[in-house]
Amino acid sequence: MWVKPWNMKEGFLIGGGLLVTGLLLQWVLGPVEWGLLAWPVNLILLGLMAVVVGVLYALRRKVYVFEWMMHSGAAVPCLSYAAALTILMGLLPQVKGTDVPWLSQMLRFWPFVLIWTWMMLISALAALNHLLRWKLREIPFLLNHLGVVIAIVAATLGNADIQKLQLTAFTGETEWRAVDDAGMVHEPGLAIELHKFTLEEYDDGTPKRFASDISVYTEDGKNVRGTVEVNKPLKVNGWKIYQYGYDVRYGAESPYSVFQLVRDPWIFWVYLGIFMMIAGALCLMFFMAPKPMKS
Amino acid sequence: MSWDSFIWFALGAVLLWAAGAFFAWKEKKALVYLCTLAGIAVFFAFILGMWISLERPPLRTMGETRLWYSFFLPVAGIIVYSRWRYKWILSFSTLLAIVFICVNLFKPEIHSKSLMPALQSPWFAPHVIVYMFSYALLGAATVMAIYMLIRKDKTTEKEVNLNDNMVYVGLTFLTFGMLFGALWAKEAWGDYWTWDPKETWAAATWLCYLAYLHLCKARPNEWRLACVVLLVSFVCLQICWWGINYLPSAQGLSIHTYNVK
Repeated sequence: MWVKPWNMKEGFLIGGGLLVTGLLLQWVLGPVEWGLLAWPVNLILLGLMAVVVGVLYALRRKVYVFEWMMHSGAAVPCLSYAAALTILMGLLPQVKGTDVPWLSQMLRFWPFVLIWTWMMLISALAALNHLLRWKLREIPFLLNHLGVVIAIVAATLGNADIQKLQLTAFTGETEWRAVDDAGMVHEPGLAIELHKFTLEEYDDGTPKRFASDISVYTEDGKNVRGTVEVNKPLKVNGWKIYQYGYDVRYGAESPYSVFQLVRDPWIFWVYLGIFMMIAGALCLMFFMAPKPMKS
Repeated sequence: MSWDSFIWFALGAVLLWAAGAFFAWKEKKALVYLCTLAGIAVFFAFILGMWISLERPPLRTMGETRLWYSFFLPVAGIIVYSRWRYKWILSFSTLLAIVFICVNLFKPEIHSKSLMPALQSPWFAPHVIVYMFSYALLGAATVMAIYMLIRKDKTTEKEVNLNDNMVYVGLTFLTFGMLFGALWAKEAWGDYWTWDPKETWAAATWLCYLAYLHLCKARPNEWRLACVVLLVSFVCLQICWWGINYLPSAQGLSIHTYNVK
């Protein structure tokens, strides 16, 4: 072990080191506080990560471990640890709230966060390595590795910037106030007038369709008329408006309709990453799979 | 067109697909395409007939979506065949198509079931169909891995290569299924990923298969270890697919439990 070239054993030890470090952090600092990542902290962290990747890459000839990080031998242990922790998360009930066992909030468990960060770091390094020796045949590798980094980093860093509000509009009335999960009242900069709420049922009485015919008025003077229903949100000024609920006591006669308003400033980057991964998966099948051997 | 005439179209299509699969083993390329495509056309004629008589695309009931699985399986099979000439792929896709056709023939009560509003999305069919295709391929790769582990030294390089290939294609579709699910979830619920128990297990499964892929690159000679990783991955896949219905950690939490209700 620790004899060059390194392979997987070294990776398992480094991962073990990350687990121990994570446990110490958890013990000293408590669970990860994702809320602290809100703008502009997430942007600073992103910049920091880019600098770290750049520096590690520049020093790859001087420091062997940075060179090794780009190879598949480093990916296997990292993926194994990530898989093991994710399986653990799937086996143990995950709960909200404070003062719960560490493993009951896996997403706030430092070892989990460190392993995933390590995974993003080595994927980004490998992607950079392939990007800088650019050739057409590097595209599949880049789509997969860069795609996954862009999607996961944007989703993780952007999470604290997501705004989710609930707006309840009564038929014939216009409502501009909405509440967040904590019950705080916000003015999202748009108002919703509910013209009609519709509930259709199948013959057996199970719900078939919930829909709200609404007008949306924005602060900058837009007036959008549209129908919001499950699976068909309406997009206005960066807000996505979802059909969220109604008064179940009255069913089709519900006097109001509840909308969820979601704004995610990082969504473009998440989608970019996802579409790169889809293209990457196609490449996986058509270009990266080993060629079948002739009999 | 109604379900009463389904059996005749299904019979015709299955016979043609089976003939196509047979000719693939006999390496008669032209006949493979002819039979398989003819079978696909026969089956699509039924779907089209249903579409016209129902005055809507037949995508609403579980029985109707199963029609599409049976349709897409040979389509995917012939695409994969045209690319790699695997002799087994058409036998495999035909067999799976038959399973779904049989469910439709012998379980008529499913036709009356209605889709809840959250499932009425253009993403529904692709999300489920690509997953089914991927489960099928990865299942075949698992059987192959067990076979290789039992035979040990008799395992040939060609078998390792073939299995590797199936996993690559299976993982492509697994990734599609996961990402289509994320895109759909964003449209339906406003979140693309919420670590719902089903999603957690999907992530774990995906990571396991990625570990397999990287292991094969890092240590090409360790195919036995790779086979073991495949077995572990497949266990995760089963938990993700139906096992979570029995896991205490997922009770009452998953938005994916309408599968069993």
